[in-house]
Amino acid sequence: MRITKHPVLDIQEGKRVSFTFDGQPLVGKEGEMVSSALFANGIRTFSIHAVGDAPQGLFCANGQCAQCTVIIDGLPVKSCITPLKEGMEIKTLVHHPELPADDQWRPSQPPEELSCQVLIVGAGPSGITSAVELADLGFSVILVDDKNHLGGKLVLQTHKFFGSMADCYAGTRGTDIGKILEDEARSRENITIMTSSTVVGIYSDGKAGIYQDRLEKYVHVSFEGLIVATGARERSLVFPGNDLPGVFGAGAFQTLVNRDLVKSSDRVLIVGCGNVGLIGAYHALQAGIEVVGLLDIAPAVTGYKVHADKIKRMGVPIYLNHTLIGVKGDGKVEQATIAQVDENWNPLVETAKTFAVDTVLIAVGLSSADEFYASGIEGGFPVLKTGDANEIAEASSAMMGGRIIGREMAGLLGSDVTIPPEWSEKAEILKSHPGEVFERSFELLGKGWKPIIHCHQEIPCNPCTSVCPQDSIHLSDRTGTIMDLPEFSGKCIGCGFCVLICPGLAITLARRVKDEGLAELVLPHEFEHDYEPGDTVHLRGLEGVDLGEGIVKAARYNKKHRTSLITLEVPIELATEAVGILVQDEEITKPLDEADFTYLPDNAIVCRCERVTVGEIKEFVRENDVTDINQLKLPRLAMGACGGKTCLDLVPRVLMQAGVAREEIHPATHRPLTVEVPMKALANLGGGHE
Amino acid sequence: MKTYDIVVIGAGSVGVPLAYRLAVRGLRVLVVDKLSSVGQGQNKAAIGGIRATHSDRAKIKVGNASLDVVRRLLPEYGQDVDYIEGGYLFPAYSEEIAQGLKNLLPLQKSFGLNINWIGPDEVKDRCPGILAEGLLGGTFSPEDGHLSSLKMIGAFHRLACQAGVDFLFNTEVVGFDLEKGKIQAVLTDKGKINCSHVVNAAGAYGREISLMVGADLPVYPDSHEAGVTEPVKRFFLPMLVDIAPDAQSDNYYFYQNAEEQIVFCITPRPKRMGTDRRSTSEFLPMVIPRMLNLYPRLRNLKVRRVWRGLYPMTPDGKPIVGFDQEVDGFFHAIGMCGQGLMLGPGLADMIALAIAEGQEDEEVFADLSPYRDFSGEELLK
Repeated sequence: MRITKHPVLDIQEGKRVSFTFDGQPLVGKEGEMVSSALFANGIRTFSIHAVGDAPQGLFCANGQCAQCTVIIDGLPVKSCITPLKEGMEIKTLVHHPELPADDQWRPSQPPEELSCQVLIVGAGPSGITSAVELADLGFSVILVDDKNHLGGKLVLQTHKFFGSMADCYAGTRGTDIGKILEDEARSRENITIMTSSTVVGIYSDGKAGIYQDRLEKYVHVSFEGLIVATGARERSLVFPGNDLPGVFGAGAFQTLVNRDLVKSSDRVLIVGCGNVGLIGAYHALQAGIEVVGLLDIAPAVTGYKVHADKIKRMGVPIYLNHTLIGVKGDGKVEQATIAQVDENWNPLVETAKTFAVDTVLIAVGLSSADEFYASGIEGGFPVLKTGDANEIAEASSAMMGGRIIGREMAGLLGSDVTIPPEWSEKAEILKSHPGEVFERSFELLGKGWKPIIHCHQEIPCNPCTSVCPQDSIHLSDRTGTIMDLPEFSGKCIGCGFCVLICPGLAITLARRVKDEGLAELVLPHEFEHDYEPGDTVHLRGLEGVDLGEGIVKAARYNKKHRTSLITLEVPIELATEAVGILVQDEEITKPLDEADFTYLPDNAIVCRCERVTVGEIKEFVRENDVTDINQLKLPRLAMGACGGKTCLDLVPRVLMQAGVAREEIHPATHRPLTVEVPMKALANLGGGHE
Repeated sequence: MKTYDIVVIGAGSVGVPLAYRLAVRGLRVLVVDKLSSVGQGQNKAAIGGIRATHSDRAKIKVGNASLDVVRRLLPEYGQDVDYIEGGYLFPAYSEEIAQGLKNLLPLQKSFGLNINWIGPDEVKDRCPGILAEGLLGGTFSPEDGHLSSLKMIGAFHRLACQAGVDFLFNTEVVGFDLEKGKIQAVLTDKGKINCSHVVNAAGAYGREISLMVGADLPVYPDSHEAGVTEPVKRFFLPMLVDIAPDAQSDNYYFYQNAEEQIVFCITPRPKRMGTDRRSTSEFLPMVIPRMLNLYPRLRNLKVRRVWRGLYPMTPDGKPIVGFDQEVDGFFHAIGMCGQGLMLGPGLADMIALAIAEGQEDEEVFADLSPYRDFSGEELLK
């Protein structure tokens, strides 16, 4: 299925091409990733693992994990980074692939040798801003990214950004910020940009090895200084059924839905109530995908309150103090069961609820992808890390942090530069976790429009204060930073700019009308709709409480902000209470009448590549004296294609469950290559093309 | 701290099987290692080849003993180390190489090795897709093979633990207590361990340990880089060794392991001396074109991981094995020249017999003596 209408994204038709999957003729869009073409055709099982004949499907959608490998024209390739072409013969990979008997000798070439002063790995928000900073200071920069575009994960972020408008394009959608940053980088002559280029190793002799998949090339880059802006990886979770096709990361989901406009799912359950999970739920609803709920083992939402409130108003329940105890289905996700946890985070199975879903999104946080920083330290080079590779935070702080790191690198390489102290202060504030929550009440006095700012929690955000043409919205001065809550005082002309710009959809406009007891209320709405004057809608309060119905008076679409302003007639007492319109029928979120599960936590997979389970690790720990994660390579943990990108983050907790003391655990050794590289590319046989 | 009969320094390819053999002979054994678990030195860097096909009497004997142990591990000890008896195949594409290999045969056969010259068709049968053009044939020794170094050390670790061996990790040896020229204790950064015997099985760091008792033995590590690919359905069994040098390197070799991955390694020229184990940019562009010249179909295979390991070399390419003549109770088992994995199991039996029973295989112990003349040169490295 494809997304045929979307409130925020344009639907690109694209050229249709024919291909086959296991002999079945199918149609996809030329140039889209094969994984997306398969999903669009309802295919979610890509391979059958040699261990237990287990079906495998898309997991990271980011070229990192290899779970999406299929056979294309006789060769195993990662479908999530392979563009679809006319006539491709695609097959399910069953166990180990066969190496084609292609025995024609071809001459090899040594790697092209490039050099620069600063090599920046990763062209996301922090990599680009540090590149621009260095370029403006006169340094020669090579900016490398594994994707075929710049901007990193901004391309997935269809929502408006928090932060400040002056420093990080707050109020602008991530997808648009990506384009702005790309133009910045491309306008600097001393930045050489290499896309579709994966750094696979930072070697001790001061060179990076770079694999260019499209060109089938392997290139060396010598550098004086190294900036690691490689972002982060999604953390995973250990639960029975976590390997079934249909369990994937929120990032993979955003890639399918927001980048490739593929309707990946009909109905999802989301694990994790940080900003990633909350935004994932919102993106799902915008794409017409049902969300049965979000859950988090924590007792409170860890993301921004405005995001959580928004989701609740749409009709999505949030289950706190809950964990996922199992996912099951016949070769794919069909059901997911959650349960409340006790104070030690053990599930109370008697509280289990089972939902019929086809997808479980894992949004339990990110971990820095900083292996190259370790390689740089090991190599003794000037090396710095920035963005999520340094510390997990919002893209807004990554942009600021990247500029700082650019200057720091210039300093390390002998430039006489200073870093304005306010940059560091801003970077610190932008990465702030959500702060205190305040009770606020609003009154609708007098005539005329008034913005009702349902913003109760201090977060680093101020666009509403910047757009008011009357300059009537200001931050309180409790902390003196952009963390402060916005307040209205003065004149309002009802222009709606503050309503349109607010990334939290937390501002409404209200005014009394002549009819006693009624008011006009203007709400922001980022969904496809066909509201006509006279229609009734279900109104929801700040945190989703049902406030009955309102009557639509007008609906205006603002093209720049891609947001509708819905004017409603509501009882006066609701004018300051109603914040949003219900978009999802509550029936959707109901669990099955009876929970349906068998709780087998040892069956959960830790290492996906080699299918090593919790039970196998526990048994190995029982039989061998294990404190060194390297020992787990014997049961093949982290020995697969991805090199431990997911499992090494999970395994310390499994070891602790098996009785190993945290302080005794010795980490695994990390070795190149970051991703697998075909020998034909390493030998530069010259088979590729742009 | 407990008192031991014997402390083995080094939980690697030599130390762990040796500790097991000593323990089953009734000795109280402790293995000390500065790293965090078994096999974290050069064992895990070993690519896995195991052969008796050397060009020297002692190594052939030890190699045969090792193969004998390895063949018995699964049926007799229930330990699967992924041993595959795929043979070693040295192909020749020039008269010079062919003649060199053929010249070694009489010597190798005189030691009882099963090794023969095979024609190009048999080479192609054993390695489908190997470059046919110019192929003259090669030598093949069917009784050699390959195994998983990780599984091998895991197996001996398990056996050693069952036999009562203690292991002490993250512990560095700093010296020894001697009394009247006899070992009394091992001194470590974590304290003193009383014992009457010490075996130095510290691999690449063996010279430093022997120096602590005043023995200056010529063990100098150089390093080789290696790599492993994704798995593909099995298409060949032997360890392929191409000994024809090119401008940057001497031999290189690769095989398909039990997981069906290709494991490969090259000998750079000049040698990379020292103990640096960080990967370099030189390795892949050095080895991959050579592999593709020999075996073009490998081009579609993906390289998964690379690493670098140390070869603790001696001047004559033979290990240094034997009691110290000055310090009573100190035994040297170092200088494995990158062959600790294939020599370790065989040596373990021989050393355990020497220490526990005072019985030494005279030929082996004479050839590998710490006090031998080191000026000889190995023919087949």
